Amino acid sequence: MLELSHIRKTFTAGVDSVRVFEDFSLSLDAGCFLSVVGSNGSGKTTMLNLICGSVLPDAGRVFLDGRDVTALPEYRRFARVGRVYQDPSAGTVADMTVAENLALAHNKGRRYGLTRALPPSALAAMREEVAGLGVGLEDRMQVPVGRLSGGQRQALALLMATCTPIDLLVLDEHTAALDPKNAELLMKITDRIVREKRLTAVMVTHNLRYAVEYGDRLLMLDRGGIVLDARGEEKARLTTDDLLPLFGRISIECGN
Amino acid sequence: MLFLNTALEGLRLGLCYAVLAMALYVSYTILDFPDLSVEGNFPLGGVIGTIALYRLGLPPLLAVLLSFLSGALCGALMGLLHVKCRISKLLSGIIVMTGLISVTLALTQLLSRGLTVVYFNYIPNGVRGFFNAPFTAGFSSSAKTLYGVAVLLVFALAVKLLLDLFFATKAGFLLRAAGGNEQTVRTLGQDPGRIKMLGLMLSGGLVGVSGCLYAQMRLQYDNTSGAGKVVIALVAVIMGLSLFGRIPRVRPTTAVALGAILYSLALCFFTLIDRGGIYLKLFNAAFFAAVLILGENRLKFHTGWLKTLFSGKKRGGEKEETTDA
Repeated sequence: MLELSHIRKTFTAGVDSVRVFEDFSLSLDAGCFLSVVGSNGSGKTTMLNLICGSVLPDAGRVFLDGRDVTALPEYRRFARVGRVYQDPSAGTVADMTVAENLALAHNKGRRYGLTRALPPSALAAMREEVAGLGVGLEDRMQVPVGRLSGGQRQALALLMATCTPIDLLVLDEHTAALDPKNAELLMKITDRIVREKRLTAVMVTHNLRYAVEYGDRLLMLDRGGIVLDARGEEKARLTTDDLLPLFGRISIECGN
Repeated sequence: MLFLNTALEGLRLGLCYAVLAMALYVSYTILDFPDLSVEGNFPLGGVIGTIALYRLGLPPLLAVLLSFLSGALCGALMGLLHVKCRISKLLSGIIVMTGLISVTLALTQLLSRGLTVVYFNYIPNGVRGFFNAPFTAGFSSSAKTLYGVAVLLVFALAVKLLLDLFFATKAGFLLRAAGGNEQTVRTLGQDPGRIKMLGLMLSGGLVGVSGCLYAQMRLQYDNTSGAGKVVIALVAVIMGLSLFGRIPRVRPTTAVALGAILYSLALCFFTLIDRGGIYLKLFNAAFFAAVLILGENRLKFHTGWLKTLFSGKKRGGEKEETTDA
């Protein structure tokens, strides 16, 4: 479903340059829920940005659903990709209401023309849809998203990212800005949606427990390389205790 | 009588500026684009309209449509500079505004050589605009003003209704999203640059319409009529939204139009005192500063009673948040 092939990426700022990936390859089967952990600077977020086209590789190719999308601009790739960001304000429009945001998301993949965006008849179905999230959004359909809590906002962003058919769901530390209780709730919702809709998903997280508990493949990155790639049985048997020594070692080497 | 006449003058001017304010609502409020090209785009709409009426002999409505097109073209140009060439919003506006000074001057030469002001009444055979003969033949002076108010009211209402309709469409939703959060537009698979361009074209077109109506209303085209129009429009938008924007069921388009009318009334009454027009711009500047200082804090606070009045119920913070349509 997703394939990164021989990616090279260097970031240059003035005379400083940081090589994030030298020769990075990864391939992900359809329907797989991959969690990615790694210390800061290991290339997790760059990997997501390369997948979505937010940054372009210096060399190598990106394939989505068998199509070479390396040259496709970010917004075109998003036609078949959903992404939830760490920042709750990134995935939704703050001045627009819950219903308006959802109406926008439901039209993804179709033309944004001069037809009515939010017919009153669509509201009931939408309310039912957000009620399924279980975060109380169904009573706040006409509230501007900016006034929601971080947890509600991320849950809405997740729904918006997944309410149309997509090839890949990208979760960029989407629970990191939330308190532990809400983060846990959002992870449960995420897992349910990914299972129900049989999505292929890549989740970057700082939370080793989430990486172990959720998903069916786990990747640990360090300085642009894969230090652990556990799947199937191996992933199922993995515990946080197995990961900690390895994670501690790479974190100490990097100085955090 | 003087009071009534001044009020009517203010209303007429305000309806003309209402169209301008609604244009700036699209660019400034929705797209966060302080569009300085207005200063060039406004007289351009005027000169295009006047040429259409006088040189081409077109009906006034067609003149208005042409000025919309010329304004949309300016909006597109500014959008290209900002979106494609990555020039900042303010600077792309300044570039277009500066270039337009020459364009309008050159176009004015088609009307009268060497002049920068063209009086409709002095043109042989006349200019057949909305506000002069044959439409107003036989009208008394006050009847002409009243008639002007009526015609401009039709235009302002039409623009308001069309904008309201537009903002309820998918394209309108996307435009609001593009102003609020570009990344969301991208994740919807749409190009935020393209959406912004469309918004700036819409806004620029309306600026042109306003300029065209202004010239027709004043029965003269003046090359310098753009000077200070950005401030007027921004005052109208900011004051309108902070005074009327929070009242339930008053749409932002209505709020900015009301802001424009209120401000024009203030302008017209000020000119009663300031006969020579020397202090007019100072008044503009001071008024703008006052609106900015008060707008975000105190005005909103003081209009609390208005909200209560219009919503027909006591407004509690919690209640409003959970209200569902």
